[in-house]
Order: sequence, then structure tokens, then C-alpha cells
Amino acid sequence: MMAECTINDNIDESDSDYSDEDFETYYHPMEYGDSEENHNPVDAEDPELFPVECLTMEQVEMFLNEAVNSVCHILNINMSLAKLFLLFNNWDVEKIISGYKLDITSFLISSRVLPTLQSQQQSANIDDNDCQCEQQQPGSGNIINDNVFICPVCTCSSLKSLGLCLECQHTFCTECWTTYVEVKISEGQSTEITCMAQNCNLLLQEVIALKLPISSYLKLQYQHFAFHNYVISHPLLRFCVGPNCNVIFKAKQSLAKRIVCPQCKSVFCFKCGDSYHAPTDCATIKNWLTKCADDSETANYFSAHTKDCPNCNICIEKNGGCNHMQCYKCRHDFCWMCLGDWKGHGSEYYECSRYKENSETANESAKARAALRKYLHYYERWQNHAKSLKLEEKTLEKIKDRINQKVMNGSGTWIDWQYLLDAAALLAKCRYTLQYTYPYAYYMNNESKNLFEYQQAQLEAEIENLSWKVERAETTDRGDLENQMYIAEKRRKTLLKDFFQT
Amino acid sequence: MAALPRRIIKETQRLMAEPVPGISAVPDESNARYFHVIVTGPEDSPFEGGLFKLELFLPEDYPMSAPKVRFITKIYHPNIDKLGRICLDILKDKWSPALQIRTVLLSIQALLSAPNPDDPLANDVAELWKINEIEAIRNAKEWTRKYAMDN
Ligand SMILES: [Zn+2]
Ligand SMILES: [Zn+2]
Ligand SMILES: [Zn+2]
Ligand SMILES: [Zn+2]
Ligand SMILES: [Zn+2]
Ligand SMILES: [Zn+2]
Repeated sequence: MMAECTINDNIDESDSDYSDEDFETYYHPMEYGDSEENHNPVDAEDPELFPVECLTMEQVEMFLNEAVNSVCHILNINMSLAKLFLLFNNWDVEKIISGYKLDITSFLISSRVLPTLQSQQQSANIDDNDCQCEQQQPGSGNIINDNVFICPVCTCSSLKSLGLCLECQHTFCTECWTTYVEVKISEGQSTEITCMAQNCNLLLQEVIALKLPISSYLKLQYQHFAFHNYVISHPLLRFCVGPNCNVIFKAKQSLAKRIVCPQCKSVFCFKCGDSYHAPTDCATIKNWLTKCADDSETANYFSAHTKDCPNCNICIEKNGGCNHMQCYKCRHDFCWMCLGDWKGHGSEYYECSRYKENSETANESAKARAALRKYLHYYERWQNHAKSLKLEEKTLEKIKDRINQKVMNGSGTWIDWQYLLDAAALLAKCRYTLQYTYPYAYYMNNESKNLFEYQQAQLEAEIENLSWKVERAETTDRGDLENQMYIAEKRRKTLLKDFFQT
Repeated sequence: MAALPRRIIKETQRLMAEPVPGISAVPDESNARYFHVIVTGPEDSPFEGGLFKLELFLPEDYPMSAPKVRFITKIYHPNIDKLGRICLDILKDKWSPALQIRTVLLSIQALLSAPNPDDPLANDVAELWKINEIEAIRNAKEWTRKYAMDN
């Protein structure tokens, strides 16, 4: 059986030396202990829930072979050909069967097993022109008499029976094929090796490649590279992105959901393998990251670490993740992002995250400026939350130190203070999602944008409240902090439920 | 040194016996895998009248790997960089063991007749070739006169 390591939202990835169990009991005190397999109760409504299995290489091979065997049986073809079909059709057995049954010839041509009709004609023409010179037509075996041909690669003549060609009839001697395949494998190729003739893209099937007298080491290498190609072409399989991690994940659907590797703790998106990016989808986050890389210089201007207090103008450095700033001189409470009074931020409507389109943009240069201003609005917030995440990591370290001291001084036990670590972990999770709401909002262009930005603003407000309370945990009431955690996570889940399309 | 493969001997013999018009390729006296190449600038190209020196080397696993070719004479061309390296698909991913020295040299000659600024190696040259072809051609002619004539 396959090893179950169902991963859900409840597995905490930010640090391994404490668990989320207490956090979970807080959320689901009644359900706790209900489930046998998984001590974390599963919320079926959870928009991030994504059951995956961790497979070993052998298990993956078994899984792949099921598809290979069914294609073999249904179409009555050999395994090598079935693998080739699967590799080029995203392992879609039904698509292969219907495509094959509809028109075998064109299916074989598009699978690069048969030459295109065009190149079939071309090679026929070459054979007609009796060649005057043995190297005139490289790529087409030059026939001296019925039994002997000259291999165009090594120019040696050999028996036709010792020559080897694919359906394209480009014949070369076995020795040349062998050397060629050896060179290709040592370059890291396997299933992508083609015919040796120029501009011939017919694929050398696994069964032919492995029958050649190549060393057993290279045969193993070939199988290793081919296995890699099979896994990356399969929409339901994904290698763990962690360096030197051998885990292969298998899901029931190819969705942009969060994977946390139980072995190396890497966190990534199942569908694209990049950093997890909810609520933004795979294509959008790629565009956004490319855009950020392209526009980084313009945007750098905004990444300054200091701002002046809007009340007394003293220079304030941001040293925590919280955007709720308090001037150390005049005690004025303001927002780091918009420099507005914090009082307007705490309430249900949080203006700061919303970008206002300016309608007075008539001429072209004004449009360009407006486009840049729009981008910078989102970029600045994206960057700012990334920075806050880093700063809050330091806060977490400080909290750990303080807990250590307290426990050593006899003030409470580890378990008494666990809730503080849970709060810090939850804060990181919420802020991470919040960061990724900005690319989503930037590309959003429909009626639901208002609703999205409303929910985003609410999430942002609750996260800043949480951050404020975590930073001042000593003086914050535990119940108050836990309540804040509950609200922030609820806002996060609501936003994902409504907008995260995987 | 390992014996020279029959394929290289055959190709060399044929290059000497039936040279490609406008191209001379002579193996080095001490190394049969190293060729001294001279390509004549094609007619009606900015390189007309020039003689361009190249070096061509057949690596150990030739013909499984492509020959290594480089211009020694300076040339103003969007697909050839300052070091003389050539951007030509058959020298890279489109190499096939069925191709030969002869086909490579013919392709290089064709590249001189038809520069391709959309697949550039020398970016500044390609840029000018696209925005101001007349000036680019003038530069190419001047470089030909300066570096590829009477040497
Ligand atoms: Zn051969
Ligand atoms: Zn072929
Ligand atoms: Zn891993
Ligand atoms: Zn993704
Ligand atoms: Zn102040
Ligand atoms: Zn604000």
C-alpha cells in the first residue's frame, strides 16, 4: 500500500520544534480526538485542504505502470510505445485511446513515431536521385547493393542487416547509434533522443535505446532520466522541490494547493512547484514576479526603512512587522503604509489597502504615470508585508528567548506559554496570505474587485491587530490574544474560500 | 594520439579534392582535427571582397558532437560576437551527426549573405541592424575593408 501522509492546513511549516496541536484544540475543542488516523481534525470546508500521498520511487513506478498497462492492453501495443504516448499526452489515457482510434496514422505522426507525410516524400525523392557521392545525402543510408549500405555517420560500409533505422528509414550502423545514444545519455537525455538524421524529429523509443549495446551504467542513467521525465510530465505527480529530497507527491487533482513536505519541510504549490501563492493563481503569480523583477529599480525607491511621524515629523524607523506605528516622541498612532491616523484603521473599514483609480488620466504620459502609480501601490504593499514577515521572524525568536527565561525562572511551564508561539505562527501564516493578495488585486479587473478589496482590508486590519498584540504579548491578556487569532484566521479562510481558484 | 576515424579522413579528402566554392579548409600539419579555414565574403553582401579567417576543431566525440568553429578575423555581423563566436543552430541544438564540415561551412557562408538580427549574438550590432540597416551595412563594409582585406 501507499504510505499515507495526508497533509492539510493544520501541519505547521514555519518551525518544527513545536506543534499546532494546542492551536487546534483551541479551534475545535469538541472535535478533538474524534479521528483515528489524523489527530488533527479535518475541516472539510477548509479552502486549503489538499490530501496528497507521499510515494517512494517504487510506488510511483507501480502507479505509472497501471496507466502503461491499460494503454498496452486496450490498444494492443508494446509498453515502450505506450510510455511514449503517455509522456506526450500528459498521461491522459482516454485522450490517447480516442486519438489513436480516431486516426492511427496522424496520431503516430503527432507522437513522433511516424515521419510527417511531407518528410516521407522528401526522403523518397532522395532515394530516387541516384547519389553520385557517398556523402552527398547525409542522413539517408546510401545503398551500394541490396545487402550493403554505407553509414552516413562513420562512412563505413556494412551489411544492411546490421543497420538500424526508425520509421523514417534513415539508416545508420549499430555502432554509430550506440555511440550517439551514449553521448546523449551522458548529456542527460533519455526519452527525448531523436533520430540522428538532420531535421528528423522521430523519437528513439526506450525499447530500441535499451537494446543497444550500451554500458549497464548508462542504461541505468537512461532509466533514471526517463523516470524523471515521466514524473514531471504527469499532472498528478510532483517531485518535492527541497534540495536532495526524494519525496514524490501524488494528488487526486492537479490543483494550485499548498504542499508541506513532511520530510524536508519545503512549502510549495502543487500545480506549479513554486512558492505557495494563494489566493493568486499560478500564471498570475508568474507574471507578477516577472514584472517585479523587471521593475525592481523603480520600485526600490519605495523600500526605504524610515518615515517621518505625520504629527511631529520626527524620523521613525520601522523595527517590527506591525504597520500600526506609535511615535516614540509624541505617542501619535499612525499607519506605516498611508501615514494616516490609526484611529480610522481599527474600525470595520480599513481604507489603506485599497487603491483608488484616478479618472483624470487623459493623455498618454499621464496614463503611464498612473500605471506606474497603480503598480507601485500594490508593489509597495507586497514588499512591505514580505518585510514584515521577516521582522516577525525576529519577534518569534525574541518570544522564544523570553519564554525560555520565564520557564527557567519558574514562571509557568512550556505548555503555559505555547499559545504565544501559536500566535506567532498564525500571524506568519496570515501575513503570508495577505502578501499574496496584492498580486491578485493588481490583476483583478471585474465587479468583485470591490468585495475582494473589502475582505483584504478586513484581513489586513485584523493581522495588524494581531501583530500589535503579539509584539506586546507580555501585557496582552491571553484571552484577548486568542480571540484575535481566531478572528484573523477566520478572515483569512473567508477570503480564500471566496476567491482562491485552484 | 588515437587513430583518426575513417569519417574524418574521408571528409578531409573530399574537402581537398572538391573544395566548396569560396571556402578553403586545410587541416593543420600537426593536428588533423584542427582546420585553418578561409571564407570569401559572398557577392552582394557587405562582406564582399573580404577574406575571413576561421578556426574549426573537431572534438573527441565528433561527429556525435558538433565541430567548434570561430571567426579569427574581426567581423561586423549580428550573429557573430566580438570573440568570433557564431550563433548558428546547427552548431548547437540542431546538430546532427549526419551533418559534415562541408555543411557547416556552407551554412556559415549563407549566414554572411543573410544576417539574422532577430536571433542575435552581438546585441549592439543586431540592434543597429534592426533600426538602421543602412548604417549597419556601412559599418560592416568598413570593418571588411579594415580587417578582412590585404592582410
Ligand atoms: Zn556508422
Ligand atoms: Zn530519421
Ligand atoms: Zn521534501
Ligand atoms: Zn502554483
Ligand atoms: Zn510623533
Ligand atoms: Zn494606512
